[in-house]
This record gives sequence, structure tokens and C-alpha cells, in this order.
Amino acid sequence: MKFKKILFNTRFKDNAISALEEITDLRAIGLKEVVLVYVIPRDSVAFVPYGGYQKEKELEIKKKVSDKFENWVDILAKKGVKSKIQIEVGMPNAVILSIAEKEKVDIIVAGSKKRSLLEKVYVGTHLLDLARRSPIPILMNKYLAEYEKDGEIITKVNEHIFDRPMLATDWSCPSENALEALISLKGLASKIIVAHNIGFKITKAMSPDQFKEIKKESRKRLEEYQNRLKDAGIDSETSLTSGRTVPELINVSRKNNASMIVMGRTGKDWLSQYWLGGISHRIAETSELPVLLIP
Amino acid sequence: MKIDRKIIFGLFLIALVIPAIVFGSDTESPTNHMNIGEILPLWSCIPFGFMLLSIALFPLLAPNFWHHHFGKISFFWAALLAIPGLAIFRGIALYEILHIIIIDYIPFIILLWSLYAVSGGILLRGTLVGTPVVNTCMLIIGTLLASWMGTTGAAMLMIRPFLRANSHRKNRTFMVVFFIFLIANVGGALTPLGDPPLFLGFLHGVPFFWTLNIAPHMILVAGLLLIIYFFMDSYHYRREKPSPINLNKKVPFGIEGKHNFLLIAAIVGAVLMSGIADWGEVSIFGVHTSVQDLVRNGLLLMIGTLSIVTTNITVYEENNFSWAPIIEVAYLFIGIFITMIPCLLILKAGSKGALAFIINSVQDPVHFFWITGVFSSFLDNAPTYLTFFNTALGSYCASLPESAAIAYLIAEHPIYLEAISTGAVFFGACSYIGNAPNFMVRSIAEEAGTPMPSFFGYIIKYTLLILIPVYILVTFIFFWGR
Repeated sequence: MKFKKILFNTRFKDNAISALEEITDLRAIGLKEVVLVYVIPRDSVAFVPYGGYQKEKELEIKKKVSDKFENWVDILAKKGVKSKIQIEVGMPNAVILSIAEKEKVDIIVAGSKKRSLLEKVYVGTHLLDLARRSPIPILMNKYLAEYEKDGEIITKVNEHIFDRPMLATDWSCPSENALEALISLKGLASKIIVAHNIGFKITKAMSPDQFKEIKKESRKRLEEYQNRLKDAGIDSETSLTSGRTVPELINVSRKNNASMIVMGRTGKDWLSQYWLGGISHRIAETSELPVLLIP
Repeated sequence: MKIDRKIIFGLFLIALVIPAIVFGSDTESPTNHMNIGEILPLWSCIPFGFMLLSIALFPLLAPNFWHHHFGKISFFWAALLAIPGLAIFRGIALYEILHIIIIDYIPFIILLWSLYAVSGGILLRGTLVGTPVVNTCMLIIGTLLASWMGTTGAAMLMIRPFLRANSHRKNRTFMVVFFIFLIANVGGALTPLGDPPLFLGFLHGVPFFWTLNIAPHMILVAGLLLIIYFFMDSYHYRREKPSPINLNKKVPFGIEGKHNFLLIAAIVGAVLMSGIADWGEVSIFGVHTSVQDLVRNGLLLMIGTLSIVTTNITVYEENNFSWAPIIEVAYLFIGIFITMIPCLLILKAGSKGALAFIINSVQDPVHFFWITGVFSSFLDNAPTYLTFFNTALGSYCASLPESAAIAYLIAEHPIYLEAISTGAVFFGACSYIGNAPNFMVRSIAEEAGTPMPSFFGYIIKYTLLILIPVYILVTFIFFWGR
């Protein structure tokens, strides 16, 4: 997998620029260009009740955004990364996917939202929808994230996110793709953690012997992953847990000081993903770490 | 697009109804009390006037402010009427507010929502070249569809293909104006699904197929407008000599989301069912509503939700679908419906009410056609219809209960209902604020780069020159001296 061209979508929330600077670490493995994208939601300029389309407002927003982006362009240029600005009106996800296709980008980067007391998620439904539909990898960035640990609120600054990525695998095809993506981070990642959790739903109906057998099989597969990383010249360690997958994997990521979580997008059908939420989406929503989803 | 927002909106509507059924009644029906329409002063109509003026003037004078605060403005005018009304008339005022919400507002919004959701799930593809013949055919198709999928639904379905087909043409403004005339207004005259005023009439007891009585009026107006359009388009086409569309990028004609046509048929069925069935009544907060109406509302919500769930999101995206217009209508109409209560009650009181001067001066069908029309041109045509519908009831059957009065009006004086219905539907095309789809079409056309006339430019260049002469002809043929 390549990381040559990135689509960076922003709403200019706090720390967006810091998140962008984090991404420029990818220069070490070939990042050449960033397409900076801002989508003006159609409803904010169109459909004025009983009025028309606010063309002047659209132009005003475009001017403001363009001015802000100029600063970003300078920052990227100083780091030797080319950039292109795209400001469009429309339905955000449709526009992002269309620009990604047109520009042939390798990965989409989008920022998280501020976690609220009520919802307690870092990623909104818009971003999850984008992740569900994107044919290319999507990185859900969370530069500054607050989370609770032992009753205490901890603020985490997610820097050097490619340093200790954690691959959460379920042995599926997308997980294989995620492993390939991690291999292409060679030179940037100091160590990769490969984690697998034997889900509670699988183990609850198992006899102790069957559980032992599945643990053995899982260890073997983890070793295979580790060997492939070793062959690629990347240092790694493994983690095998059992229990409820989402909290277990988040726990493993904390214990191992992971800098981001990389996952294959789980292949449930649209309806189950929407209503139940795939594991990958639940982790993207609830982990304080950036999450890279590979289709 | 967030699907949950759509569903939550639908569920919100259900949530409005269910607690009411569960908790039953604590209101006083005015049938047991005095007719407050006879004692209400004229100034109690002021919030209604300001509500409508807000819709007319804010988009022109302060569009940005209006865009962000129209909901608050709507609630402000509603509260300005409801709070003193409740303090003075207590149970009676509460009954009237609940009555208009349960009987008019909720079914009205549910129908609009379901038609909007379902028609938004249909995508027309294909490279059409906008010649006078093709454009006229598209306008005819849209006009015919409007009565079955609503003017809003038909306009949203057709406007983007229409604009795409004419992207190579220089002068597109008049095309969009005729599109507003025909598809966003006149085409909706044949059924209660077509245009909101007619659905309000249906909710009050006008039979579903009664509106076919105004088919001759509609055919005359649509026919004349189409002929004028064809000649105008042919003239411009010859002058422009448009460069041909690049057919290398030709997209074959196709329709996505076809199953939504079945769902539109289901909506027609549900509305028809509620007009035919008689399954008794239930009391919701003391307001009597028929079971079949509640079933219809439930079915419409189910049909809309089914459409949303079964339609590929890319169809909505390619249609540039947005919930904003329907949410705006929902916010604004709660203000309109609540503030119009005194006006309706006074008009219903006939010559005993404070608006007796209107009742006494609006006597002939021609008066009803023009007064309904003029008000519909600048105020939304749905409340205007209801206002003059009540004026007619107040004039001819003030002593009868509403259902009997409507039956009497239809049996003995149908021409008045014809005049009010055609006035409300046809004149909705006279300005951008006459009917909700007008502003949606304008917004989409402007976004696509078609310059549209200003508010007054539209009236002077198109309404006065084209529509009004056509309506004068309608007056002479159908209403003059009758």
C-alpha cells in the first residue's frame, strides 16, 4: 500500500492543524501531496426558506476557508509536501468520496469530533458512514482526546501516531490488507503490536478443550503475522486476549502504549453495520487513539 | 446524509401523537361552549399577519438572519398567540390549539414528509438535449406527475435533469420560471396529494376525487402555459443556435429507485383509504379524530421509512437530496397553523364575527378565485386556502357543523370550492413565496448557475405578463357571472 497522496478533510476544529502536521510524518515513506478539502454543507447556503441560494455567502465562506488553507499550504510546503485546495458545496461524504476518486488519493484523513458527556464517542455518524462506504483506507484522526481511566479524566495528545501502531486482527481479508498497510509503514513504525481477541460470543459456548484449541490456533496465526513483519524488517509483539472484543482491544492498546489502531473494516452487511455497528466502527467510536480502517 | 436524522424526524411525529392518545383528554370542546369566533377581536389575527409577513419579508430583507433563526421566529409568533390565548380562554384555547395540531398540522407534515422522502429516492439519469420539444415534453411529464407525487416531489425529481438537459443553453431563466408555474404549482391541482391546500381540504372532508372537478381549469391553464412556453423556447432556441452537447459523455436514460413509484402508489392508497373507510373515532386530548386518519398517518410514516431504508444512499446523493426544506416547512407551519386559529374561528363565525366585512364583500365565485389567489401569491397557499374555505363555510353554512357544512357546500355551491381551490393552487405560482417548492426550485437553479429573477423581477416579467392574463381568461370562462 502507498501513502503518496492524502485527502485531508477538515472543518477547522481545534487542533486540526496539529493533526495535519502529524500526518506529514508520512514523508518518510513517500508522502508527496495532500489534497486539502473543505465541504460547505449544502443546507448552510441553499434552501433559505422561501428565499433562494445564498451565492454571496458561499463565496464569503470559500474566501475565508481559502485564506485559512493558505497558511496550511505554507506549512506543508516548508515540509516539502505539495498541496491542493478543494472547497466545494454539497453533501460532505458524497463530495469527499468523489474528490478521493477524482484525485486518486491513497488514503482519506478526517478529524474526530469532541467527545461529549452524553454520547461518549469520538467519531460521529457522518464519519462512520464515510468509513463504511470508502473504497480506500480512512484514518480517523484524534489529535487531542479525553478519556476516563480508573475514574480519572485523562487528556491524551496523539503525537507520532505511526510510531507504535496496533493491528487488531480478526484474520479476515481486510485484516490481511491492514497487515500489508502496516508493512508499508516500514521506516516510520518503531514497533507494531499485533493483537487478537477471542470474542465472548465464540467462547461462551465452548468447552475448555475447545477454548484451548482455539487459543493455540490463534497464537499460531499471530506468530505467522509476526514472522511476516519480521521478514519485512519490522519489529513487533503480539497480544492474545479473550472476552468482549471492543473493551479488550482498547485495553491492549493502552497497556502496550499503542499510538494508533489499525483494523480491517469488518465485513458485515450494511443493515447490521448500521444498527449494530461493526467491531471496527465501535473501536473507532470509543478508542481515544486514531483509528486507521482498511477496506 | 445522516439516516438517523430522517428516522428521528419521523419518530418525533409519532411521539407527538402517542402520548396524546395514552393520556386522553383534558380539554373543552367548543361545541359545548360559546363560539369564540364570535367574540374574538380582529387584532387577535395580528400574530398570523406577522407570521406571514415574516415569511414574505425576511427572506428578502435579511436572508442570512432568516436562514438561521426562522424556527425561533415561527415559535415566537405562535407563543405570542398561544400564551395569552391559553391565559384567557384556557380549556377552549387548548382545545383549538390541539385540534389544529392533531387534525391539520401533523397529517399535513406527515404527508409532505412521506411524499418528499419517497420522491427523493427516485433518480432520473440520462443525457437529454434541451430542445423546445424535449423541454416541453419534460414539463408535460412533470405536470402530470405533480398531482400524484406532490408538486414538491415532482419538482425535486425533474428539476436537475431539466437543468442538465439545458446546460448548453444560454437563456435558461424563463425555462425555470415555467417549470415553477407548471410543475411546482398548476400540475398539483388534480388530487389532494398534488398541492398542500387541497390536502388540507381533504382533511376537512372534501372527497379525494372531488378535485377532479377542477381538471378543466387545470388543463386550460397548463395547456396555455405549455403553448406559450413552446413558442418562447423555440424563439430563443433559434436565436441562440446552441452548440451541441458532447455526446461522447452520453449517459443512457434510466431510472434508479424505481420501487419508490410503488411506494408513491401506496401513499395514494393510504390517503384514499382514509377517505373511504369509516372505523370510528378516538379522542386524543379531547380532540376527536377518526381511526382511519391515524392509520393513514402511521402508514405514511411506514412508507416513508421503508423508502429511506431501501433506497441506496447514492441515489439521494446524486439527487443532492436534503431534509432542510421539509424541516423548514415543519418549523414554519407550526407557527402558521397556531397563529391562524383566531382568523379561522372568526371567519367560521360568518357575519357574526369580526371579519364580517370580508364575508359580506366576498360573495361571488370570481371574488373567491381572485381573493384566494391574490393572498396565495404572497402568503403560502395552504393557510390561505383554509382561510377562504372557512370564509365560504361562514358565508353559506355558518350554522352547520363543519362536516355537514362541507357536504352542503359541495352539493349546493361547488363553484365556490372550485374557485378557492384553483385560486390557491394556480396563484401559488405568482411569486417565490406562494408555494414551498418555488423556493426550492429557485435555490437549485441558482446553485446550478441559472440566473433567476429577483422577487419583484419574477412578478413583473413573468407573473404579470404571462400568468395574470391566463388567470383572467380562466375567470371569464369558469367564474364570471356565475
